[in-house]
Amino acid sequence: MEEVRAYIPETLKEALEIRSRTDCIPLAGGSDLMVSNKRTTGVAPSFDKPVLIIRNLKELKEISVNGKGECVIGAGCTSAEIAQSSVVPWHLRQAASRMGAVALRNSATIAGNIANASPKGDTPGPLYLLDARVRLTSLAGEREVLVSDFIVKFKTIDLHPDELITAVVVPLSERNFDYIFWHKVGTRKANAISKLTLSQAIKFDGRIVSDYRLSATATGAKTNRSREVEKLIIGKEITPALIEQVIDAFDEVISPRAMPEFRREATRRMIRRFLSVASERPENRVIDTFDGFHVTGQPEPVF
Amino acid sequence: MATVNDISKSVRRVDAVSKCEGKAKYLPDIDFRDCLWARMIRSSVPRGKIIKVNLPDLPSGYCFVDYRDIPEGGHNYLHMIATDWKCFAEDEVRYVGETIGLLVGPDRTVLADLIDRVSVDYEEQIPAVTIDEGLACKGGAFVNGNNIHCHLKIETGENADEVFKRCAKIVEETVETGFQEHIYLETNGACCCPEGDGYVIYASAQCPFYIRKSIAPLLNISPEKITVRQTVTGGAFGGKEHFPDVLCGPLLVAAHKTGKCVKMVFDREEDIENSVKRHPSKVVFKTGLDKEGNILVMDSKVYYNVGGYLSSSFVVLQRGCFHVAGCYSFPSFRSEGFGVATNTFPSCAFRGFGAPQTLFAVETHMCHLAQMQGLDPLEFKSRYFIKQGDTTSTNGKVVEKVMIPQMLEQVLKASDYRRKVKEYKIGSGRGIGISFYNHGGAFTGNGEQSLIKAHCRLHKYPDGHVEILCGQTEMGQGFHTILPKIAAHVLEIPIEKVVFEDPDTSRVPDSGPTAASRSTMIVGDLVEKAAKLMKDRYSKESEFEIETEYEHPEGYPWNQDTFQGYAYLGYGWGVCAVEVEVDPCTAEVAVKGVWSSHDGGHPVDELIVHGQVNGGVLQGIGWASTEVMENTDGHFRQTSMSDYIVPTSMDCPRQGVDLVDNPYEWGPFGAKGLGELVFNGSGAAYIDALSRAIGKKINAIPVPTEKVMEYILHGKKLGEAD
Amino acid sequence: MNVKLEFTLNGKNVTVSTDPLRRLIDVLREDFGCTGVKEGCSEGECGACSILLNGKMVTSCLIPVGAADGQDIVTIEGLSETEKGKLIIQAFADGGAVQCGFCIPGMVVAAYSILCENPDPTEDEIRLGISGNICRCTGYDLIVDSIRLAAERGGSIWKK
Repeated sequence: MEEVRAYIPETLKEALEIRSRTDCIPLAGGSDLMVSNKRTTGVAPSFDKPVLIIRNLKELKEISVNGKGECVIGAGCTSAEIAQSSVVPWHLRQAASRMGAVALRNSATIAGNIANASPKGDTPGPLYLLDARVRLTSLAGEREVLVSDFIVKFKTIDLHPDELITAVVVPLSERNFDYIFWHKVGTRKANAISKLTLSQAIKFDGRIVSDYRLSATATGAKTNRSREVEKLIIGKEITPALIEQVIDAFDEVISPRAMPEFRREATRRMIRRFLSVASERPENRVIDTFDGFHVTGQPEPVF
Repeated sequence: MATVNDISKSVRRVDAVSKCEGKAKYLPDIDFRDCLWARMIRSSVPRGKIIKVNLPDLPSGYCFVDYRDIPEGGHNYLHMIATDWKCFAEDEVRYVGETIGLLVGPDRTVLADLIDRVSVDYEEQIPAVTIDEGLACKGGAFVNGNNIHCHLKIETGENADEVFKRCAKIVEETVETGFQEHIYLETNGACCCPEGDGYVIYASAQCPFYIRKSIAPLLNISPEKITVRQTVTGGAFGGKEHFPDVLCGPLLVAAHKTGKCVKMVFDREEDIENSVKRHPSKVVFKTGLDKEGNILVMDSKVYYNVGGYLSSSFVVLQRGCFHVAGCYSFPSFRSEGFGVATNTFPSCAFRGFGAPQTLFAVETHMCHLAQMQGLDPLEFKSRYFIKQGDTTSTNGKVVEKVMIPQMLEQVLKASDYRRKVKEYKIGSGRGIGISFYNHGGAFTGNGEQSLIKAHCRLHKYPDGHVEILCGQTEMGQGFHTILPKIAAHVLEIPIEKVVFEDPDTSRVPDSGPTAASRSTMIVGDLVEKAAKLMKDRYSKESEFEIETEYEHPEGYPWNQDTFQGYAYLGYGWGVCAVEVEVDPCTAEVAVKGVWSSHDGGHPVDELIVHGQVNGGVLQGIGWASTEVMENTDGHFRQTSMSDYIVPTSMDCPRQGVDLVDNPYEWGPFGAKGLGELVFNGSGAAYIDALSRAIGKKINAIPVPTEKVMEYILHGKKLGEAD
Repeated sequence: MNVKLEFTLNGKNVTVSTDPLRRLIDVLREDFGCTGVKEGCSEGECGACSILLNGKMVTSCLIPVGAADGQDIVTIEGLSETEKGKLIIQAFADGGAVQCGFCIPGMVVAAYSILCENPDPTEDEIRLGISGNICRCTGYDLIVDSIRLAAERGGSIWKK
């Protein structure tokens, strides 16, 4: 008998049944796997296991809000769908809307972006920041794992052979924070892979920081977030010295291999920018790397 | 600018609709029935001796083709100006990607499986990769005993050494540029079919006659036995000037061996890793100033990274040296060029053909000379603008009127340069820069006369149609529209009555390569002349042909041995301003504006010219900013379109485009070369703007974001001496 | 192992028995002769192989043909037969959008996607909409102008 190259289930149940009995590779949008397994023009990609094509499973396409007010995103939702959804938290919408370009965003799925476990992936940064979980489903049942635990290390995930990612649950929205920050330094202005992306969010109780979160992608083997670093500032009033302490501590957390100086320095500057601007309590909740130059008269040199 | 009957008034491009509809057939789209497919076996080491090629057992119908398949009497080289580049490596390899052989067979999947099982044993040697390593003969010299493939020296005015003795100050500076990959959207591809007692080559190519001449010696046959038919070509930019020979040579040998059509199309990764690039360069200036800071002498040493084989690079280097004086006239000038042998993929033509590197260098050097003295670069550069009648870098004269002052005014006005220069302080995060550049049109000196001898024919058919017969190719630049437009305009017939097909070397005369910004200027002129000769007879005679031949104007001598005289009769000229903004946190650079003015003579079609300007200017900004192509140990590190970063629609705002009308005496309707010119200056303007924005001196491109940060943190302040 | 797949291609129901992991671009070009779908980069970066899958623009080099089973596909061959497609193509021809043309079928698909979602796009919206379609010739400005021209000429047809 000829080997089976691919399964094309019509329902989630059918897909899970195949998973339960076959060692196979789930393929949704194809934007990572079709590239990493490509051969050449006119020659089919080669996979070392049969492929489970789940691109068109309707059960994985919904975005909703559950009873706890959490945003539940079907695993097969594309970046375009996520970017356009009003119920998806801000950081994640930003990341989804700047992933690749239009056509890619119509293919690439959130589950694929997580399962790829690339340190340059666009969605893990916000998902780490917001304590998002992946929902893993098998015929035997369901479990939920923090995205930051699910991505074990570079290109490695905690997915059991009989499971599929069926949803991503995001518990926090921008409403939980007073100020939010997301900035991707891409290889160019659009259609770009991340050279460095920072997600930040902060909440105040009076002058005191009641919550602060910071995650960075493309700064190490996996997305970086450190609760220890965040704790340095939580419960305190922001001072310039404290900002520098946070910056130095986070610098210890990240481990960029390529272009380390750039990644470290830009990370430092973006943390400093966010915390110092937030501490001034501006009207605008979204803080970016700079406001643009509105120079009239004689500006001070910034470099 | 264009009036109703003016040739400049745009017409719809003849190829636009078929390309939009997807009906135009590019090489990969053509179904050559029952053809065999070829895959290249290439060197995986930058330098070494081939000990053994290990092949798997080949199924029936599959074969391996290498140098041993060249028949007796044939020559294992490709004639690409020089003849040192081999068709197939024999015992040594000089670069990663060097062709060792072809694996040929009917099924691409089987071929892919076989390729995975081919290995080559080498005795590896230490490679020289950079210009400095080449010059230092790292691993031992492998060319001419000193790794210098080619060399030239030119000077004007009083002997530079004498002038240096009385200079108040001497400034030395080095400017460097990197590899650039063409990224024509259609990768390289070709197919060779035995037909009758000869062969037919179909290729995505700029120069069908080059291919014929280059590969015929492999089989020791006359070039006429090979017919080359150009297929619709999806971009070239110089990357398909000589390089198609590297595909067509082995394919010819494979077709000879198998007796069947053999087709090869590179995929993108293969194309980026294994194709020619723009020459990396290093220009070392030594400039002598008087005590008021005026330039008395500019001396330069120009080093181009040629790679493993010379092929066409000496001509590239010559053009580099001829353009290193930029748009300026200095009392004394000297330049010495060195083509350095390294173990990288041989460099070759890329839009500008050696001129962009030295123009970038001189513009950057001039900025730094100005800033060192606390002067605005524009003010300083303006002192030296070359004018009609001035001596050129090769002791010829500038024949035409130079309209830089008018173009400058246009660009200053469009960009609001003077206000911005005052407002954007050095290091303020905002900057505007400006550059001046030119490009000598057509082949250097009397090359059109002595080397090419272009011919062109017009054929009038009984039904009133006129066919243009010449070897010029359409590769996106609009030549399929330009040439019929010229003929139709002269003959006063609708453009639809003029036929101009992709060339087939068996039925068109050799009008020379589609390169060197020569097609409109030279071949367009031949068509205009032919049409004028045809006009009186057009309505009287039913069917006849007119043939014209290029004649060089009298009185403009050139000596190709000494590089003295009139290198170019007509230059294109350009002025470009770029404005940038730099993110203080991330060092990201945003281009806020691009304005240019160009002199390409009288434009033959304003919209086509506009499109050339837009594309060339953006490609130049890419070269200076994001287009990083590194070579580590002989291997290109960027191998896909996700890591070799060309500009998207979001990377630059709409360009301000101005032209001046400066009819060229010997061009059709006053047109001259433009296609390369428009690349030559935007990179320098971008870097000028960026260095002002961050207040740091920039001496090397490309400068991607991480490099900008490096300059911000460690760069020398603008105005500081090295 | 070959699998029988059925989908709609340019309005017609088609079937193909093939390896479901072949790239959709290869099947469209080689099995259905849709050579207007161009291969530029093989990794979804350049947009030359853009098609409409269930009305959304995707790059066909990233999709295994098995994923097209039961879906609706429109290529440039089909699009150029429609009123909207023709309108875009005429605007591209008049606006000087086309040079070497290799990116252009994908660019027409992108223009169609932009205008169907937004009949009156701004220059920035157009630039965003074509940012995944790499063109090395034109510097994009005349393509942007041509898409504006198609919006203006089409008027209400984009609202249908």
